[in-house]
Amino acid sequence: MSGEAILEIRHLSKAFGNNEVLKDIDFTVRPGDVTSIIGASGSGKSTLLRCINLLETPTGGEILFHGESITGKGVNASGYRAKVGMVFQSFNLFNNMTVLENCVVGQVKVLKKKKEAAKENALKYLDRVGMAPYINAKPRQISGGQKQRVAIARALAMEPEVLLFDEPTSALDPEMVGEVLEVMQGLASDGMTMLVVTHEMAFARDVSNHVVFMSEGVICEEGDPGEIFSNPRQQRTREFLARFARG
Amino acid sequence: MDRLIQLGTDIAGLWGTYWKSYLNGIKNTLILALVATLIGCVIGFVCGILQTIPYSKTDSPVKRFFLALIRAIVRIYVEVFRGTPMVLQAVFVYYGLPYFTNNAIMFNNIWVAAILVVSINTGAYMAESVRGGIMSIDPGQTEGAKAIGMNHFQTMVYVILPQALRNIMPQIGNNFIINVKDSSVMFIISFTEFFAAHRAAVGATYQYFPSATIEMIGYLCMTLIASFLLRRVEKWLDGSDSYELAQADQLVMSAGTYSHPNRGTPFDEHSKEYQDRPGQKSGRGRRKGRNHER
Repeated sequence: MSGEAILEIRHLSKAFGNNEVLKDIDFTVRPGDVTSIIGASGSGKSTLLRCINLLETPTGGEILFHGESITGKGVNASGYRAKVGMVFQSFNLFNNMTVLENCVVGQVKVLKKKKEAAKENALKYLDRVGMAPYINAKPRQISGGQKQRVAIARALAMEPEVLLFDEPTSALDPEMVGEVLEVMQGLASDGMTMLVVTHEMAFARDVSNHVVFMSEGVICEEGDPGEIFSNPRQQRTREFLARFARG
Repeated sequence: MDRLIQLGTDIAGLWGTYWKSYLNGIKNTLILALVATLIGCVIGFVCGILQTIPYSKTDSPVKRFFLALIRAIVRIYVEVFRGTPMVLQAVFVYYGLPYFTNNAIMFNNIWVAAILVVSINTGAYMAESVRGGIMSIDPGQTEGAKAIGMNHFQTMVYVILPQALRNIMPQIGNNFIINVKDSSVMFIISFTEFFAAHRAAVGATYQYFPSATIEMIGYLCMTLIASFLLRRVEKWLDGSDSYELAQADQLVMSAGTYSHPNRGTPFDEHSKEYQDRPGQKSGRGRRKGRNHER
């Protein structure tokens, strides 16, 4: 927890019509932070992450990226998104492209890299997630866990400063969860700045260095994972964690 | 049986005299249907894309006004040309333009008029197909593209439209086959397609039924070949069902490809003797061998 903040979320709120999903959210992400956002379904975790990537437009407050607001008028959303990677629950790999093309297209079209350099870079990251042998496969031909690893490689190939994970293992069956978490753990230990919405409490406790517990659209409690998991201060946090401890 | 033999003789007679005119008709029909379907697809794609440009309440009023205007124009175009017979559209365009412009604009080339009418008509249908095709693509695809920084145009061109095109391929085929048959109404502006050949032949011989039989067989052959080819195109767009594992790639170091040529000899780096050699403890040959720690 040192250095200048990459992302600062200030009084962020989001409403769908009359339904206030996020209320006055405040927190900061510094380089190298691995922040886990936990909480019950419907507590606004995913909406928060989608707001940070501007897939949803916040209705109030602001988000600062390296001190500059990205929620004001006339902000180049595409340029910002290229620097902030996102991994989705449903993978969202491009179905019309092979594994390799999925990892190349963004570099060539958005970052304007040469095709050869982009390919080499993509292979580097695909190798890292263990998917290099499958570069010629189409997304429909590989398993869920493999898709998610390719999705991570696709995000990494853009060389983002922050990587957002929106419940990356929730659509996977238990044996595939492990392979994805392993990749994420590797990234965390390499110093990647990550913001992870997850239901994997073990990951939140053991891998992240900051935990945010959300409940009903507000941050109920946040802090060191050891502290939150062993000694939660709020009643709601205790209840939530107790449910997970019972399994 | 007699009648069939009679029919055979009549067809042979007609074909013997008019085969050039029939074949020319087939050629013109196919060219018209193909070109008009292609242009129609382009019109359809442009309209489909224009109709699906997203806008939100936070956009400027000018942008919202223009988008609403575009949608309205496309809507009117689609409804008018989908809702009137093509034979009348042909008359309207072919005779209407000179009528309104005091013969300033005339169609000197019948091909231009025919292709124009059939294209515009096809475009109206395709606009709806393309809109449906775009809407049928999972929104996750758009989000995935946006998340790596693509703008709306890039998302459309590289991610959404290729998938939409595949999904509406059967529709495009439909339109082509419809155009092969329905271009027959272009006789109204004296376009000499396959059906016009029939009219010319029966005008001279009064052999309506034999000539109609030739026409039926001719149209059926054209459409059957067209559907066969379209299936092949769809297969091709789907790509291969299988894929090759790229283990030969030098960047890939996957388990199981190393043949261990020294296995069993004292130089086998996995053997106890090799590892226990003095001075070799830290300097094992393979730097990638993180799995060999034990």
